Amino acid sequence: MEPIRKEELDDQACGSMAPKSKPCPRPKPGEAAGGCSFDGAQITLLPIMDAAHLVHGPVACAGNSWESRGSLSSGPSLSQYGFATDLGNNDIIFGGEKKLRDSIDYIAGRFTPPAIFVYSTCVTALIGEDMDAVCKEASDRLGIPIVPVNSPGFVGSKNLGNRLAGDALLQYVIGTGEPEQETPLGVNLIGEYNIAGEMWDIEKLMNQAGITLLSRITGDARYKEITWAHRAKANMVVCSRALLGLAKQMESKYGIPYFEGSFYGAKETTYSLRQMAFLLNDREMERRVDRLTEREENRLAHDLRPYRKILKGKKAVLYTGGVKSWSVISALKELGIQVVGVGTNKSSDEDVQRIADRVGDDTEYIPEGGASRIIKTVRERKADIMIAGGRNMYVAMKEQIPFVDINQERHKAYAGYEGLLRLAKELVDSMVNPIWKLASSPAPWDKEGSYDR
Amino acid sequence: MSKERIDIPDYSTLFTEERYVQQRENKKQFEAPCSDEAKAEALAYSKSAEYLEKNFERKAVVINPHKACQPLGSVMAALGFEKTLPFVHGSQGCNSYFRSHLSRHFKEPTPAVSSSMTEDAAVFGGMSNMIDGLQNAVALYKPEMVAVCTTCMAEVIGDDLSAFIGNARQKGAIAEDFPVTFANTPSFIGSHITGYDAMIKNILSQLFDRSGQTAAPGTGEEGEKLNVLLGFEPYTGNFAEIRKILNAFDTKYTILGDHSGNYDSPANGEYEYYYGGTKLADVPKAANALGSLVLQKYTLKKTQEYISGTWKQPISSLSTPLGVKATDKLLEAISQLTGLPVPESLKEERGRVVDAYTDSHPYLHGKRVALAGDPDLLLGLIGFCLEVGIEPVHILCSNGDVEFDGKKWKEEVEALLATSPYGSEATVYVGKDLWHLRSLLINDPVDLAIGSSHVKFAAKDAGVPLVRVGFPIFDRHHMHRNPIIGYQGALNLLTLIVNIVLEQLDNNPSGLVDLVR
Ligand code: SF4
Repeated sequence: MEPIRKEELDDQACGSMAPKSKPCPRPKPGEAAGGCSFDGAQITLLPIMDAAHLVHGPVACAGNSWESRGSLSSGPSLSQYGFATDLGNNDIIFGGEKKLRDSIDYIAGRFTPPAIFVYSTCVTALIGEDMDAVCKEASDRLGIPIVPVNSPGFVGSKNLGNRLAGDALLQYVIGTGEPEQETPLGVNLIGEYNIAGEMWDIEKLMNQAGITLLSRITGDARYKEITWAHRAKANMVVCSRALLGLAKQMESKYGIPYFEGSFYGAKETTYSLRQMAFLLNDREMERRVDRLTEREENRLAHDLRPYRKILKGKKAVLYTGGVKSWSVISALKELGIQVVGVGTNKSSDEDVQRIADRVGDDTEYIPEGGASRIIKTVRERKADIMIAGGRNMYVAMKEQIPFVDINQERHKAYAGYEGLLRLAKELVDSMVNPIWKLASSPAPWDKEGSYDR
Repeated sequence: MSKERIDIPDYSTLFTEERYVQQRENKKQFEAPCSDEAKAEALAYSKSAEYLEKNFERKAVVINPHKACQPLGSVMAALGFEKTLPFVHGSQGCNSYFRSHLSRHFKEPTPAVSSSMTEDAAVFGGMSNMIDGLQNAVALYKPEMVAVCTTCMAEVIGDDLSAFIGNARQKGAIAEDFPVTFANTPSFIGSHITGYDAMIKNILSQLFDRSGQTAAPGTGEEGEKLNVLLGFEPYTGNFAEIRKILNAFDTKYTILGDHSGNYDSPANGEYEYYYGGTKLADVPKAANALGSLVLQKYTLKKTQEYISGTWKQPISSLSTPLGVKATDKLLEAISQLTGLPVPESLKEERGRVVDAYTDSHPYLHGKRVALAGDPDLLLGLIGFCLEVGIEPVHILCSNGDVEFDGKKWKEEVEALLATSPYGSEATVYVGKDLWHLRSLLINDPVDLAIGSSHVKFAAKDAGVPLVRVGFPIFDRHHMHRNPIIGYQGALNLLTLIVNIVLEQLDNNPSGLVDLVR
């Protein structure tokens, strides 16, 4: 394994303004911290749906992570398979390279995937497997790309893993193919993983405006389309924390301009579409986008009316990472919701700046994790709802706090104009459900004065 | 608000709309390198008998694993003790997987921390991570005990837990008398059940050793009590059921490793971090109990060795008691260990379940099923199938490596199958994955598959309904709250299975509707 230059990577993983920006916070021992780099690399690459994803390590790294993502596929399902080399005690001692080679051969022969991604894990990195060499040899022999992803869990956080996956794409995939026909108005989306089908809503909007989505990096992607990503006229970075480095390197290597944007909330969506049109530098397109966004915004405003009546003045605590930490604030503000607390645990300096631009002075920043800390904010600020990831959901339920899941396990798509409507509905549904009344009122026999004690 | 409500479909229906379908069709052009025909051909081949053989010759790669790793089992074991914080020594990712894995099954939060080892730890060892980690964790989460388990990373670099914990005490990171137990649980050996066993055994032995007590079974106040161990138990309802049974006997008992509190706590407005669990002080006392009742003997291999060896207690070892006969055996075992007669209430309950069996048997008779799961669960399920006339055909055990007593287990399964003509069709597979199961389901079709949520894809490909039993069950709610052991559990299992069969009948394409059943 190539040595990983940790400090440098940390900087880049964290956001754009390196070296000024502070490095990713180091995970603190003894806390319930988040996922590992292996996890992060998988999140980024698994949505390449037609590729095979082979975990080189003990079966558990695959067994534990398998089937836990909400990225939807519109066709191929090979990425859903849990492939693992299943290293055992003996392999730890004598090495697992043969097992890896045989596994690659088997997958190539049996499933004929367009490519195989091979992930290192803590174990394979520590015992010093030369994964790159095995992959290269197999790739030459089999005639399909075999991409090593050197992102073992211990090198750092999930974000760093996203970034290492981006490196693998840059090094082995992007620039190795050509699109069938020229697409003068092609844009890549980077860091959009099609959770609950969000990519499809975005794609529909882009199509309506006449913008071609050239490569999906990587929500509902096909391997082939990523090989020609270098032919795009512009890149949009949807999840800035994760793959900004990829966009920057594409800019310097291929001269593709990029911008960071989001599709949460009508304003952000409109801005993103306009920005695409701007970078494509096509006047007619700009006009089309203006017409489209105006029409969509009007329609949304009309559809949202009944929800806004209920949501106006409600208070929310938001606890999520990266891009969502600030972009969802915009969406909530458009619904009339006040964000009284926001997590900044996984946010870069730029994220925090963006948060600050969007919230009032009295919003509480929650720098460190732990469910109890979030709950405390909800209580103190008298919030009506908590918006966070699935792992915090069950604590919220214990505390009888209405909850909306915003992370990867959810089944609702919140991007774009229609997505905002869906988010509004979800928020309302969660808050008005009769169970909250039932949960917070005492049982009849505990009611004061209802019977003599 | 209902008048104003707008219908907003979620993805399950939304993306079947024409415009989305079209959008997806357009994407086909990227799906090279193979044509639709080639794809269809490959799919057909993967379903052929020829491939079945090839598939079973496969050595190199695991496709769709159905086991979790040792530390995950250890985390569950630790949560069975009062105010005990599971502490995973290794890089942070594993811990995050364990927490979400367990939480998705139980729909409850999982308190567990990690020592978050990084690259420097890989070079210099994880000692400082351990020391800082223990100090931070105790300050933050205020446990009364910490239970440390390792991931493969710590094992590969050879971290010495005992020395590290000792150093943490010396440095004052934790108090001298603060209990920290630990177990070595590399993920490249064994599975979740081995890890569960290792941690339970170590908690018992470490708490016992600390107490300075000597074991004297059947003496003193504790001498009338029974120790009960359920094992890696994904059903919180099973804890309630075993309590009900023991209470009916009117015997005193200690459940060693009771995570049902942590995984079935009430939503009363305040989350507390630790719920229930075996009292730490009860563990050394358990050495004086009159005997131990073990409900997952293959899971609790080392623990049993310890209890019979060091505590010198008589042990009744069973596998998950599913169905009437297995419950009968359970009651006999309790009766034998305690000297108490089987209570009337349970006898009556048994009669009711037998009645339910007779009601349902026409729909179950001769149904062919495939079973996948942990060893003790499988023994229980096979017993249940045989007593209601269901024929197990493919039996796939989630465990397989050297740590697991595969040969002994297989012999016991085969002996059990041999007791009934309904068992004659069965083949037992140890250490195979769910891609093997898929081949079996397609080539030698069955009526039902019984197993965890992970079996879903294989079952879908083969067009077989899946009865969700075992661990993990992600995609259904509250299955784990209903017991499957004891007479009540037999009734629940029966209900679950027979109603899926009946539903199949309703879905019969003949279109005939009958209301008689
Ligand atoms: S931390 Fe290491 S061993 Fe754990 S899941 Fe991640 S890669 Fe695997």
